[in-house]
Amino acid sequence: MQALLSYDDAPPISAPLRYYLTAPLFAMLAGVLMLYAGPELFESRWTPAALAFTHLLAVGFMLQAMLGSLQQLLPVVVGANLARPLQVAAWVHVAVTIGALFLAAAFLLEAPLLFGAAVVLLGAGVTLFVAAAARALRGMAASNPTLVGLKAGIFGLSVTVVLGLALAVAIGWSLDWPLAQLTDLHLGWGFMAWNGIVLAAVALVVVPMFQITPEYPAWFGRRFVSVALGGVLLWTLADLAGWSWAVLPLAGATLACGAVFCGVTFNVLQRSKRAKHDATHHFWNLSMSSGLLACAVWLTAQVLPAVGGWPRWPLLFGALLLFGGFVSVTIGMLYKIVPFLVWLHLQSRSARRVAAPNMKKVLPQVRIDRQLRSHLASCALLLLSVFWPVCFVYPAGVALIVSNGWLLRNLLHATAVYRNHLITIESAQAKSNPE
Amino acid sequence: MSHRPVGKVVDGHGLVPPEPFELTMAALDAIDPSESVLLLLPREPHPLFQLLERQGFLHRTQRTPEGNYEIRIWRAD
Repeated sequence: MQALLSYDDAPPISAPLRYYLTAPLFAMLAGVLMLYAGPELFESRWTPAALAFTHLLAVGFMLQAMLGSLQQLLPVVVGANLARPLQVAAWVHVAVTIGALFLAAAFLLEAPLLFGAAVVLLGAGVTLFVAAAARALRGMAASNPTLVGLKAGIFGLSVTVVLGLALAVAIGWSLDWPLAQLTDLHLGWGFMAWNGIVLAAVALVVVPMFQITPEYPAWFGRRFVSVALGGVLLWTLADLAGWSWAVLPLAGATLACGAVFCGVTFNVLQRSKRAKHDATHHFWNLSMSSGLLACAVWLTAQVLPAVGGWPRWPLLFGALLLFGGFVSVTIGMLYKIVPFLVWLHLQSRSARRVAAPNMKKVLPQVRIDRQLRSHLASCALLLLSVFWPVCFVYPAGVALIVSNGWLLRNLLHATAVYRNHLITIESAQAKSNPE
Repeated sequence: MSHRPVGKVVDGHGLVPPEPFELTMAALDAIDPSESVLLLLPREPHPLFQLLERQGFLHRTQRTPEGNYEIRIWRAD
């Protein structure tokens, strides 16, 4: 018989929700930074404001949301329960939240002490999470591509953070380290080995499940993680060994893995059997299109000197990949994960005395559709800001604040539905057990 | 035990969570206590197992050669 999981080991709803409710605040802060820094933010990828902006999104939004999702998905998707989930969530969330604030402030103020504080907090928070996840996954046979992908992705997270911490120390204390080389490696590991691989591993499950599509092709499930991780490893080796002839082809091959994931997902999504595509479908399409465009920008910059010599092409690449790609798909997944969590926890608490609310009532579609439109506007304005910062940086900042404020409002609405329904369940239980 | 005859079959293919669970619970309400429900799904439903356990049901899972899952569910005695 299938071994039953203990519900007491599954994370309480507050474990992932705290990450989800904090993530939009960081994206709003990134919008405020755009208004504060103005067009200077887009002068190059190395300006203090650009570095702070990138990390408010990459650490404050993406890392928060990804850690919250992993803490929930590990037990739900692969049956790996983290020990003491609430304590892990509490410590990791506090460390990553304050660490992300210190890191953004450190870039803006160029203050070594703030870099030091960010290194300690982010290092401790991620180490605690990785240790808890590794313990939960220990001994689990690599029985399916999602499990393999989650393990590889957590390894990718570890390397990304180690490189990031090394960079923070080097920048904070003006050490004579190869910053450009370390930054490229940090980006490569962060984009592909961490976010890309975890996203692909999760997509294998959630896209067919929620979008009613055919399964991903078997070759993709079998090969993607090993080829993508192998590509990043070989590229890193070539870069560190100084094999300049191999660096660019291997970087291109790694990026091509990302393009293949976007293309395959795009193709799978087009075969959805849903009568009407929901907002999450549009978020996936937007994300995959942005990912493909980012790959095209990178390739064009390598081939055409006019584009490669433009100092803002890395910003365009980053905006497409980080914001249009990863942030978009994360928001889309939150709109499935959060209502499902509310439903699951209420169903579990009710013991069938009070029916859990329908998922569509937890977060009504009309609310999600409105936020999708504001997110599309913020994507478009952010991209236009790269080309014409003087005209578009302020509208883009306002759009970022509005769309993420809307996201937060939607997530708070789902939380309020959970709380109100829980009160109903508890009063029903009190009536049936008067003692 | 697991030899209880199948009273109802719930085909969860093409359904969005939590529809398979809701149909399964409705089927468990409708069958005779001496019967079981057979749930067909394309993947292993870990959250469903947790809820079934809490609500007093047992289950047995089999993976088919095509990679799908057949889950027999019955009320614990």
